[in-house]
Amino acid sequence: MRKTILTAILALSTALPAAADTIRVGMSGGYFPFTFTKSDELQGFEVDFMNAIGAETGDEIEFVTMSFSGLIGALESGRIDTVANQITVTPEREAKFVFSQPYVYDGAQVVVKAGNETEISGPESLKGRSVAVNLGSNYEELLQNLPYADEIDIRTYESNIAQDTALGRVDAFVMDRVSSAQLIKESPLPLALAGAPFDEIRNALPFRNDEEGKAMRDRVNAAIATLSENGKLTEISEKWLDVDVTKPLAE
Amino acid sequence: MKMLDIAYMWDLVPVIVGYIPLTLFMALVSMGFALGLSALLAIVRVLKLPVIDRLVAIFISFFRGTPLLVQLFLFYYGLPQLFSFMTNINGVTAAIIGLTLHFSAYMAESIRGAIQGVDRSQWEAAASVGMTQGQLLRRIILPQAARTAAPTLMNYFIDMIKGTSLAFTLGVTEMMGAAQKEAAGSFLYLEAFLVVALLYWAIVELLTVGQRRMEQYLGKAVAR
Repeated sequence: MRKTILTAILALSTALPAAADTIRVGMSGGYFPFTFTKSDELQGFEVDFMNAIGAETGDEIEFVTMSFSGLIGALESGRIDTVANQITVTPEREAKFVFSQPYVYDGAQVVVKAGNETEISGPESLKGRSVAVNLGSNYEELLQNLPYADEIDIRTYESNIAQDTALGRVDAFVMDRVSSAQLIKESPLPLALAGAPFDEIRNALPFRNDEEGKAMRDRVNAAIATLSENGKLTEISEKWLDVDVTKPLAE
Repeated sequence: MKMLDIAYMWDLVPVIVGYIPLTLFMALVSMGFALGLSALLAIVRVLKLPVIDRLVAIFISFFRGTPLLVQLFLFYYGLPQLFSFMTNINGVTAAIIGLTLHFSAYMAESIRGAIQGVDRSQWEAAASVGMTQGQLLRRIILPQAARTAAPTLMNYFIDMIKGTSLAFTLGVTEMMGAAQKEAAGSFLYLEAFLVVALLYWAIVELLTVGQRRMEQYLGKAVAR
């Protein structure tokens, strides 16, 4: 408690840029099981992953949590160095940022209120339905790209898409397959997977497209390669997700 | 119908309470700055100082006319694109600056109202004994205006405390941010948000007791 105030005062008086050997990692802290908090302790797949990277590269890892909608802005304005929040590689994002190699391979998943999974059994049955997606996530775009997108009532949310689907305010939500399955398993919410994942997704760490960002990306890439070879990546994946999602689906 | 998970809520209380100092720190510092700034703005408006008066009018119009969240995003994520040094301003500082500017605009208007509420005869009386405008404001007008404005200013302070919950969008984990992160892991949204709501409520209730005391104190001089 006292520490928070001290940090705040300190931060006020010495607002200096971080040293070069610190990677400031932004995350929402609100995306179970990748990043969430229990009894005030930040944890999850992304936390273990970034700490393992730091151990490899020798960089200090500093976690910065903020609501999801602020993360990309914070990366762009240089307040953080990367975002570890299952950021999917898209052409638009690649035009703006440089990405590390993917560390999670996944698919988009339709999730419905338990009992509705026979009625809504995949993306094609979303016609004429309301579908929730997280604001700023790539699933909105993914839905927009469906040939019948104009027949879907896509609703963007700041948070709590699972809750609103369980409450019946929307017919479904779309999120990645891995955390959807985990959410259904761990949460008390009455939800069910609707059909198979409908798109391949590669998730990676974005860095700013400048000297410093590229150098950091190269360091991190080397570390990801090592962690992939020595099995550490698989270990982290199985710890949080029960499955290994760190290898390409096709292989 | 599922019952509330009381045990979980109980465990969550100390976690969220740990963030109260940060919330109060942001609100108190902002209020301190806002009181000073809004008093200055109000005086400029009352005295109708040439040129500055127009600038202050634009300032008040902008900060009353746009949402606090928009101002915070503009300031924190937008302006650093123009001025790179602004990247060094951290979330707590940015939240304090945002709250200060936003609420100064409102408070300036209620202080202006309070100043203008002081009877015109007192201005004339003070002028007749040779007081300068500065003395007149400081000794006669502002003490009376403070008393009139106190309840409204307290309202703004309460709003400010609640406004700090937007700081999470700037990367400051305060009470609301902490609750959101806890709820993400437990999925007990109702419980988590209820704990935060009750704690905000408790803080504001405590302040209301303080407000009653303060009003009694300020009212002493004119007690009837």
